[in-house]
Amino acid sequence: MKKSYTFKIGGPAGFGILSTGLIFSKTVSRSGYHLFDYFEYPSLIRGGHNVTETHFAKTPVFSQEEGVDVLVSLNKETYELHKKEMKTGAVVIYDPDSFEIPKDATYKKDYILAPVPFTSLLSKIGGLKLMENNVALGAVCALFKIDPAILFSAIKEEFLNKGEKIIAKNQEAAKVGYDWINDKKIVLKSFIETMTDSSKIFKKAVLTGNEAVGLGAIAGGCKFYSAYPMTPSSAILHTLAKYAQKVGMVVRHPEDEIAAISEAVGASFAGVRSMVGTSGGGFSLMIESVSLAGMTERGIVIIIGQRPGPATGMPTWTEQGDLLFAIRSGHGEFPKIVLAPGDIAETFKLTIKALNLADIYQTPVIVLTDKFTGESHQNLSIADFDNLNIPIENGKWENDSKPEKEKINSFHRYKTMTDGISPRILPGTKGFYFQENSYEHLEDGHTSELSEERIKQVNKRNKKLATYLSSHFEAPKLYGKTEADITLIGWGSVKGPILEALLNREDEINNKKVNFLHFTHLWPLDREEMKRELGKHKRLVLIENNSTAQLAQLLEGQTGVEIKEKFLKYDGRPFYPKEITDLINKL
Amino acid sequence: MTANDFNDYFPTWCPGCGDYGIWASLKEALVKLGLEADQFVIVFGIGCSGNMNDFIKCYGFHSLHGRAIPTAKGINLANHKLPIIVIGGDGDLYGEGGNHFLHACRGNFNITVIIHNNEVYGLTTGQVSPTAHKGQPSKSTPSGIIEVPVNPLSLAISQGATFVAQGFAGDIPELTRIMVEAVKHKGFSIVNVLQPCVTFNKNHSYQWYRERVYKLDSSYDKAKIEEAIGKAMETEKLATGIIYQVSKSTYDENLPQLKKEPLIGKSLKVEIKNLLEEFY
Repeated sequence: MKKSYTFKIGGPAGFGILSTGLIFSKTVSRSGYHLFDYFEYPSLIRGGHNVTETHFAKTPVFSQEEGVDVLVSLNKETYELHKKEMKTGAVVIYDPDSFEIPKDATYKKDYILAPVPFTSLLSKIGGLKLMENNVALGAVCALFKIDPAILFSAIKEEFLNKGEKIIAKNQEAAKVGYDWINDKKIVLKSFIETMTDSSKIFKKAVLTGNEAVGLGAIAGGCKFYSAYPMTPSSAILHTLAKYAQKVGMVVRHPEDEIAAISEAVGASFAGVRSMVGTSGGGFSLMIESVSLAGMTERGIVIIIGQRPGPATGMPTWTEQGDLLFAIRSGHGEFPKIVLAPGDIAETFKLTIKALNLADIYQTPVIVLTDKFTGESHQNLSIADFDNLNIPIENGKWENDSKPEKEKINSFHRYKTMTDGISPRILPGTKGFYFQENSYEHLEDGHTSELSEERIKQVNKRNKKLATYLSSHFEAPKLYGKTEADITLIGWGSVKGPILEALLNREDEINNKKVNFLHFTHLWPLDREEMKRELGKHKRLVLIENNSTAQLAQLLEGQTGVEIKEKFLKYDGRPFYPKEITDLINKL
Repeated sequence: MTANDFNDYFPTWCPGCGDYGIWASLKEALVKLGLEADQFVIVFGIGCSGNMNDFIKCYGFHSLHGRAIPTAKGINLANHKLPIIVIGGDGDLYGEGGNHFLHACRGNFNITVIIHNNEVYGLTTGQVSPTAHKGQPSKSTPSGIIEVPVNPLSLAISQGATFVAQGFAGDIPELTRIMVEAVKHKGFSIVNVLQPCVTFNKNHSYQWYRERVYKLDSSYDKAKIEEAIGKAMETEKLATGIIYQVSKSTYDENLPQLKKEPLIGKSLKVEIKNLLEEFY
């Protein structure tokens, strides 16, 4: 079994829980660990319970875990909510000046209480109350044997724009927390790693799925991004807005989602790669233009960061509830491609691929992410990014073509082609003109309702799917050994918890051989290939973060194969690896 | 090119429709501006006016009902060197696209919007539009419309449009002159065109408009916002000409990344390694 560790901090919203978690994640990343962090918070700016946890190990980490090694309780509620998660030998850090932890019947003796007096330690150095998170971080780093210099550098960067005095005071706060643990000789018994060394800093990017979408967009040649803020996808907008000038993009925050996608369609028409991002509710507003992009043959990328619906639902939680909605979105029949990354690395890669596909197939491409991977961090090295950074494929252009005559020539924008894809020219190309038309049209773009022309254009558009299936579709990936007693099947972000559950178990749980079939390319599907793939496995068990088993519905509709065993979760929380292993134990 | 060189399919509008006058004025204006069919873009809305897509040679995008303005904004930001004109109706741009209209005014996007305002939905057989006069009966409002009409001119002026004009489809030379100035203007230009619908709006005929329209004379100061609002709010008489015009920076001029070249001129290959360091 691999050895991995979890740090967790909880307290009221508005007390910097998220930034404290990120400082810790960066600190362990620089110390040479792999990590996955996860943040839970209500849809409020102040009040309510916030908690963030970082799961880290010397070997790869794919999701959060159940147990906690070090819990920082900024209030009593945190301790009461999470004490049952403490591992044997774990440590609970709290401020005895704020509240006491009674050693009553609920107190389990197998973890240690570390009453770090944040308030009095801070008053001794003249620090402010809001620096208590850094006292806690110092104490946590002492327990995890992290060289404090690494923590100090992470603190410095977090407070960079606050000036040197504030930085120094926060570092001092961390130092007194660090020293307190060492002075009291408190040891984290569940931890077996050696002391890290600040002279050897590991350079890896600690980033969320949303940030990976942003970086993927930049690397994928996206020049226009337009979005109306909506949790959990707003950070894509923030990331791209921050870099827009530097990388030569235009990033727009328009009046609503309808404008956002209309602007993206316009930018695409003018000749640039364009993308929008939203969540289910905002996507509902965009849908008429998904259909427009299908008809006018405009390549656009739509990122949907899923959260539990319907309606406003649970804005800051996670769900995989929009798969069939995305696949079936838009009135009328037109080709559409739907992808879903399973982790941060795949998010980066599939964003680039989506931009390529939109350009090549001249039709909408949807990327389904969710709160879980969208707002969780993992760390990737430059070499990782180099491997993920797929080349740009430009699609069909005819900008070199010369006009035949002196006068202006009609360009046939919707020329019928055997692969369904007509070449394009840029609007403004000398010697030509054309129109793109939301009405059914002739090859030259003029409106037409003639029977044979309608059939010709419908068939031409539909052909794109067959071309895609033979050129760019990727079959579901099998993790683990080819032969197994049980094959777990899932799409998108269930990947992390499932891989975490299967990890280092020799693909065996409770003497049952288990593997995992993971879908990232959800639509269109090749019926025959899927039928063959599903037929290979002895016993299929669906793992899905929704209440209606949408992947099973999709696969049954496409192949006739019914997946009878389903493990569904729809309380807004992601799967935990232990839930998966418990399930397999019961099968 | 001459005006006739822009002709494509022959229009399908009803005989006597105000759209013919707007179509003729637009082609004349393009000639006067020296624009060839390959040098600009028109984004069309959906409605009788939007059907002009098949009647004029140009780089055209026939969008959705209400969405022509945001589509044009996207084209403008991707290639701000291209002149962009929006053609749409009053229901399209003031009703379905009303929110987009007011926000495009705020941004001063370098786009010219020509609104065919006939106070009815012609293509869906004559229901009232947002500019219909209070009490106007129609198939959707048999007892007369209860709402007061939208005032597009004062709305545009108050929300930041930098060129606000009104023309009449029955006066082609005047409308041509206004369109030329509108396209030349750097910033968000709107031309509200008073237009009879001879089939569905019998109350407001050419004669009805001719009795009410008057041209703004040279003494009128179009840079004064108070006077412009006053003109916009007139109901008995209807002013034609440039009601308001001021010079302000356009949306694209406020984007330093567009100083050197438009977005379409930028390389698809962008290095992200220097960005990654911020994430360590």
